[in-house]
Amino acid sequence: MASNGSETRKQFSLGENSLNVRGTSTSMKSRVSYCTDLEKLVLTVNFDKRGWVRVNPDDDWNIYWASVQTCRNLFSVDSGYRLHDNQCINHFPNHYELTRKDLMVKNIKRYRKDLEREGHPTAIRSKQGRYTHLDIIPITYILPADYNMFVEEFRKNPHSTWIIKPSGKSQGAGIFLINKLSKLKRWSKESKPPFHPQNGKESHVISRYIENPLLIGGKKFDLRMYVLVTIYRPLKAYLYKHGFCRFCAVRYDNNNHQDLENVFVHLTNNAIQKNGEDYNNVHSGKLNMESLKLYLETTYGKSRTDFLFFNIKWLIIHSLKAVSSVIANDRHCFECYGYDIIIDEELKPWLIEVNASPSLTFTTAHDRILKSKLIDDILSIVVPPDGIPDARWSKRPSVDAMGNFHLIVDEEYDDRGSNKKIREKYQGSRWR
Amino acid sequence: MDELKIKSIHFTAEKFANEITSIDAYCKFYAELQKTVASKSVTLDDFKKCLLESLSSSGMETDLRNSVFHLMRSIHNSQDVCSYKDKEPLEYLKKAQMLWEKRIHKSLNSMSADINSLSLARFRLASDRDEILEKWKELSTYEIDLTQYRPVYAPKDFLQVLLWLRNPNFRSFNFKINDGTWEFTHLSLKVKSFAELKILYGEISRGEPLIGVHHEMPSQRAPYPSLEAERIALGEKVIAFNHAPAAQEYLKKGAPLCIRARIWTQLLGSTVTPEREEYFNRLKQRVLQYDLVVDKLIIKDVQLTASNDPSYFVFEDLLYQIMLCFYRDTDVLSIFHHICATPIRGVLRGKAPTTKNSVYYPPNGIIPFHGFTMYACPLCYLYKEPVAVYCTFKAFYMRYWFRMHEVSSSEQGILALCLLFARLLQRYEPVLWMHFKTNHIQPVRVVFKWLMRGFSGYLAVEQLLLLWDVILAYDSLEVISILAVAILSFRKDSLFQVNNQQDVEGVLADLSTIRVMPLIQMSLIRETIP
Ligand SMILES: Nc1ncnc2c1ncn2[C@@H]1O[C@H](COP(=O)(O)OP(=O)(O)OP(=O)(O)O)[C@@H](O)[C@H]1O
Ligand SMILES: Nc1ncnc2c1ncn2[C@@H]1O[C@H](COP(=O)(O)OP(=O)(O)OP(=O)(O)O)[C@@H](O)[C@H]1O
Ligand SMILES: [Mg+2]
Ligand SMILES: [Mg+2]
Repeated sequence: MASNGSETRKQFSLGENSLNVRGTSTSMKSRVSYCTDLEKLVLTVNFDKRGWVRVNPDDDWNIYWASVQTCRNLFSVDSGYRLHDNQCINHFPNHYELTRKDLMVKNIKRYRKDLEREGHPTAIRSKQGRYTHLDIIPITYILPADYNMFVEEFRKNPHSTWIIKPSGKSQGAGIFLINKLSKLKRWSKESKPPFHPQNGKESHVISRYIENPLLIGGKKFDLRMYVLVTIYRPLKAYLYKHGFCRFCAVRYDNNNHQDLENVFVHLTNNAIQKNGEDYNNVHSGKLNMESLKLYLETTYGKSRTDFLFFNIKWLIIHSLKAVSSVIANDRHCFECYGYDIIIDEELKPWLIEVNASPSLTFTTAHDRILKSKLIDDILSIVVPPDGIPDARWSKRPSVDAMGNFHLIVDEEYDDRGSNKKIREKYQGSRWR
Repeated sequence: MDELKIKSIHFTAEKFANEITSIDAYCKFYAELQKTVASKSVTLDDFKKCLLESLSSSGMETDLRNSVFHLMRSIHNSQDVCSYKDKEPLEYLKKAQMLWEKRIHKSLNSMSADINSLSLARFRLASDRDEILEKWKELSTYEIDLTQYRPVYAPKDFLQVLLWLRNPNFRSFNFKINDGTWEFTHLSLKVKSFAELKILYGEISRGEPLIGVHHEMPSQRAPYPSLEAERIALGEKVIAFNHAPAAQEYLKKGAPLCIRARIWTQLLGSTVTPEREEYFNRLKQRVLQYDLVVDKLIIKDVQLTASNDPSYFVFEDLLYQIMLCFYRDTDVLSIFHHICATPIRGVLRGKAPTTKNSVYYPPNGIIPFHGFTMYACPLCYLYKEPVAVYCTFKAFYMRYWFRMHEVSSSEQGILALCLLFARLLQRYEPVLWMHFKTNHIQPVRVVFKWLMRGFSGYLAVEQLLLLWDVILAYDSLEVISILAVAILSFRKDSLFQVNNQQDVEGVLADLSTIRVMPLIQMSLIRETIP
């Protein structure tokens, strides 16, 4: 019976769309249908608030908030599914170019080389041979492919610590630290049983461990920042004002690096920390971004703090530019990434990884407010002013619609620099 | 007349010259002075001139001036007291304070008796000492059973005491309406009128541009893009000048984040010196040596407050250190010179009960109450080093917060702040006042904990620091009451919607979105009602 109901709705809404009748947004709102395979309160609250109706994946939906897996199935050739103009979805088909740890590293390395070959000024290097502006990720190799390169690098600094991570896993799964080659060798023997061929295929990354993270109250933390991309070519991306710091529950002692095994000291993932003995349910180790800025500005000064956040912004822009040429620029797609960033003692930011589905589960009241506002702001940017998803839309939201997001890169606007007339028109729509 | 004046200045100078010999920095200063006198730059021919010159060029003059400033402030602290023989002139308040002390002492004693007849203080067991030493920087992992410990008292217990105060010389004409316990208006203490407050907070009430009023405030001076940039440039100059009174003057228009910590240090004279580091270290040794019942209370308090606070939890370990040391700091006892509270004395075990054989308990004389840690929490955002947090916390407490938990008639005391709150509310929000009164709602029951903790833990950290800027700049706590009234007035519409105590508390439960400076400025800019 229920499916009958949605059938009629589908026909009705299709009819409306094909006629392209755009009433006032209030009358149209109720006809927007959504679909999701993630049972997240912060999502459904926002969909309901807009008066959208929930439908099944097989029905006609306007917006699909899908898990990475579902999205992959949908876009796969086998599914034969084609999105129509009034549909949009929350992932780009090959987002993994950015969100798989190995591919991200590959793309960033390639991006740097390309710029260097062009003789681009951002690709300059210091006397020590490090990139001045593009040194945004810790030195990383892909295993097993780059094993020899890694060994060579390791021999240069035999006392260094490295972190090994499966390329495609999350929530801290399979991550460990090493400071001896022998340990890596033992691990590689154990992890590839010959009778498990697909295991051999699973790649890992090995990154230089950031041994001197900035500590507050003696504890390590990383930053979670949210970045929304609505289009890759020309690139248009927004950074969310409110992120948070995720603290380890156990003190990080700079002088005592023996304890590489203790994940509660080294890995800041909430998924890891919540299993710890010292985990606190009330705040769950999350400190908001405003507090971090307050602390930094007070104790390190304004110019250093501003410089840090300026560098974070550029780190994000570079990481996106590094993949903008390889990502399928599907106009039905938008994506909100969870950036993991570690700040070191020198107040230099390092990109750790980019997540395609940052967790939408909330652990505290503040977390809930932040995440539901995040979704609200995302929807208000990706949905055109008339309230109906539309792939043909210019993707130029008004400043009001951006909420707590602000535009950090807008190549369309940059390109139009030459054409004054269009720029003025565009500015009109931006600043209206 | 002039002669009298000169005499009085002379007298004051003499008094200071005497007092100054007792301050910490005196020995060092004296030694430095002797060195300077003996140095080449001072010659016998023109002794006075070149001595003064080299004093000023070496920065010793500035140090001396700052010392005099801090000394004067601490004497001013007890000024209302000096003129009386008694520290508290009002007999009924003195008595109330005595009864209150008796009650909390009894409660402390009975708690330690309940917990396997523990003595209030003893030598720490070696094993315990080693554990604390090892975990000094991560005391959150120091595990002890605290289930039987509970805070000796909470703000609401203290409020109950204050609400029961009766002025024996005051008789209301209408017994029925004035049932006394409703608000503090029946107490005849002197508090400032609104006109006086406007004068006190001159820069604010004149509507001058202040830090924290709104974000992108432009500068009124030439080269600066914003007020903040202007204040940063000026602030750096003030800091370089190293003059405590200048710091105080500067703070009247608020400090940008990157300036605040240093200005506060300068103003409170809480610079970290090697001597103070050494002192802090000695306090730590005393923590290791003695095991006090208050240690558990204070650890429990950190756990109940900071450990669960979304803004302060990262500083939990730091706060244990600060608080444990603070409770060993006998310098703090000097506050009792100018308040009528008296610390408890405990008789040493096995000794005759004479004054000689007794010690203050706890060593700093203060019985911790629920939320005491909140006085220290915000300072963790200002300084990285524990000793720096400690010095400023101690100076702040000894100048202001000690008055928040004693019964006294001081204009800076908690009672006067409550009364000021009630008077301002009645005068400037009469309709709201009537609304409360007719519905038998006591706004002070919500507001009291804000006042007692100086809003710490209620406001967003940045906002709280702006409020404390105003306290320091004008050297007065009255702004706390002004803000409390302003908040009620700001939430007036919602308050009119509700008609019972519980719902009023609901409306006022979350202050995280309150912006302090606009509210304070708005209230002070208002015209006086004659
Ligand atoms: N190079 C590094 N140096 C220091 N710490 C690191 C480094 N790489 C990772 N970490 C720590 O390990 C944690 C997990 O790493 P990462 O985020 O790459 O893995 P993940 O399993 O994909 O996590 P998520 O649950 O966020 O998806 C990080 O949050 C960080 O605290
Ligand atoms: N149930 C799950 N099983 C496997 N992977 C998951 C699951 N839930 C989330 N993930 C993945 O784990 C990662 C969650 O990343 P994130 O770093 O946001 O988690 P978190 O640190 O635990 O959450 P938060 O800090 O926001 O509370 C994402 O890459 C997401 O795709
Ligand atoms: Mg991940
Ligand atoms: Mg991560």
